Amino acid sequence: MKKHNLKTTILSNRQVAEDHYLLYCDCPEVAISAQPGQFIHVLFDQGSGLLLRRPFTIYSVEGTQISMLYQVVGEGTSILSRMCAGDSLQVLGPLGNSFTIDESLDLAVVLGGGAGIASLMLLISALQKRKIRTDVLVGAMNQARLLSIADLQKIGIQPQIATDNGSTGHHGFVTELLLTTLAQQKAQLPTVFTCGPYGMLKAVTEICQQFNMPCQVAMENRMGCALGVCLGCVCKVRLEGGGQDQSGDLLFEYQRVCTEGPVFLGQQIIWD
Amino acid sequence: MTLPTSERLHLNLAGIQMRNPVMTASGTFGYGSEYADFVDLNKLGAVVVKGITSVPWPGNPMQRIAETPSGMLNAIGLQNVGVDGFIEQKLPYLCDYDVPVIANVCGKQEAEYIEVVDKLSATNGIAGIELNVSCPNLNCGGMSFGVDPQLTFQLVARVRKATSLPILVKLSPNVTDITEIAVAAADAGADALSMINTLLGMGIDIKTRRSLLANVTGGLSGPAIKPVALRMVWQVYNTVEIPIVGMGGIMNGNDALEFIIAGASAVAVGTANFINPGVSMEIIQGIDAYLADQQIRSISDLVGSLET
Ligand SMILES: Cc1cc2nc3c(=O)[nH]c(=O)nc-3n(C[C@H](O)[C@H](O)[C@H](O)COP(=O)(O)OP(=O)(O)OC[C@H]3O[C@@H](n4cnc5c(N)ncnc54)[C@H](O)[C@@H]3O)c2cc1C
Ligand SMILES: Cc1cc2nc3c(=O)[nH]c(=O)nc-3n(C[C@H](O)[C@H](O)[C@H](O)COP(=O)(O)O)c2cc1C
Ligand code: FES
Repeated sequence: MKKHNLKTTILSNRQVAEDHYLLYCDCPEVAISAQPGQFIHVLFDQGSGLLLRRPFTIYSVEGTQISMLYQVVGEGTSILSRMCAGDSLQVLGPLGNSFTIDESLDLAVVLGGGAGIASLMLLISALQKRKIRTDVLVGAMNQARLLSIADLQKIGIQPQIATDNGSTGHHGFVTELLLTTLAQQKAQLPTVFTCGPYGMLKAVTEICQQFNMPCQVAMENRMGCALGVCLGCVCKVRLEGGGQDQSGDLLFEYQRVCTEGPVFLGQQIIWD
Repeated sequence: MTLPTSERLHLNLAGIQMRNPVMTASGTFGYGSEYADFVDLNKLGAVVVKGITSVPWPGNPMQRIAETPSGMLNAIGLQNVGVDGFIEQKLPYLCDYDVPVIANVCGKQEAEYIEVVDKLSATNGIAGIELNVSCPNLNCGGMSFGVDPQLTFQLVARVRKATSLPILVKLSPNVTDITEIAVAAADAGADALSMINTLLGMGIDIKTRRSLLANVTGGLSGPAIKPVALRMVWQVYNTVEIPIVGMGGIMNGNDALEFIIAGASAVAVGTANFINPGVSMEIIQGIDAYLADQQIRSISDLVGSLET
């Protein structure tokens, strides 16, 4: 699929939760081919003082417009949050592989932690369109940081919510909701799709392994080029066919999150 | 975008015919195919591929990269498919284009360099060898060669015997006097020098008190290193006769022109490819526009033209 490097302008950029923003821009070339889980690599205004681009998943596609939902975690996202409609942005994309929805899939659990839900929204819409029964579990630090609830309700999804401090929904981790959901679905095991903090992805993968369920995780490693050449974004992936080396360690190779990913089978990843 | 094919950009670099002086820096352009949506490979001066070793190398653990003011640190650990993988899987794609392919070669010891050079020399489609004697990331890697004139001389002399392909020796900036190493490489039979490789550096996350890189130290690249690179090109230009490929923080045509005026016959674009994947095409245009504007008939007239 052709990748584009486009100069575009911000249409809107507004705060949607504590430290979280939703940005729209016009990107027809990206909008037309974007798949669930794919991302764009964004270069802010040249005067920002930053050198490298920053990667963000495509949150929504509406006609020729795309949006991204992002959390302010550092310098780049802080600069981005202060940018306004009319400011220019360079967008490289669409990039990476995408979530796979098997023909035979009829039950899905989608689990997003923090800004991770941003990477799952296009997938949830696609599952809805295919009329696949989908449970959506959303985790956040607290109510003020809870994301996407209205957007989910708009497409007919009533998400289950967990917050770390119990300010709304289940008091605890979103992975605990996963266990409850699975307990209710003994007859049929779903495919799990997830994105969020590293520790959460690892925990979700472990649960899926216990229950012997397929699990697709979207990784968010720091990136350089996002085009597969710098090899800065890799994660440890078990070699097909498995096996161990002489010291008993699993055989692995480093795969690029920007190219072989960002979506991997959780079970393939060697979590540190 | 129409690009200049003008004669004034043509050059012969150590026997390699190039349509312009703009090449890609090793490790920042993969094997060419990754940039096909943004760059017409037929319009580049040359493509320098990722460092190649005798067997595939797995690379370093994460974190491998970090951003620093006007630069980036990397400790990739030369993850690559190995020479056989390169020849079988990567080279055929590049051979479909009309662009010189320069193979960047690295090893932990002399014998490894020779094995890779032997295999590449026996293959069609390689225009030249770039010997990476300067990779700063590996505990026992290129460092030991590139920081010592004697070791550099021995390695280059052995590779010289092993191949008739043009040899570009890629120098490390992590030395006290780069002209000493440049002289050693030239005396041993190098046809050209590539400079500079990354500057050894580090960064610390004060919250965790950990290095930004798993390898603790890494190579600094990008605009932050340009003044150092320019100074080194100028020093070496005044010391050795063989041509220089200048690199280090080139982001646009003007940066490239600075290197050429300092003494580089050609330039390589590295980190800038990560920020603007089409930048090499813009740099070619920028150089051509400058030559037209200054009424310079050939790029070679500009090389080393610094007024002092
Ligand atoms: C494929 C992909 C898709 C992504 N999609 C989204 C998204 O839709 N919404 C969103 O909010 N974020 C997303 N991210 C993460 C986002 O790219 C980073 O948060 C952002 O680059 C941080 O930039 P910064 O300059 O603000 O932070 P920096 O100043 O560079 O770093 C600040 C802190 O953030 C951490 N950090 C930096 N980069 C990352 C990263 N890639 N992942 C996790 N932590 C990081 C650093 O370790 C540091 O502690 C995605 C990342 C990838 C790789
Ligand atoms: C991610 C990365 C990987 C690199 N890999 C190699 C390599 O394999 N061999 C090599 O000789 N130089 C390698 N380099 C060094 C570059 O070719 C170049 O010398 C250096 O980055 C300075 O140029 P720049 O500032 O334009 O990037 C690498 C640089 C980066 C940033
Ligand atoms: S970010 Fe450069 S290889 Fe993935």
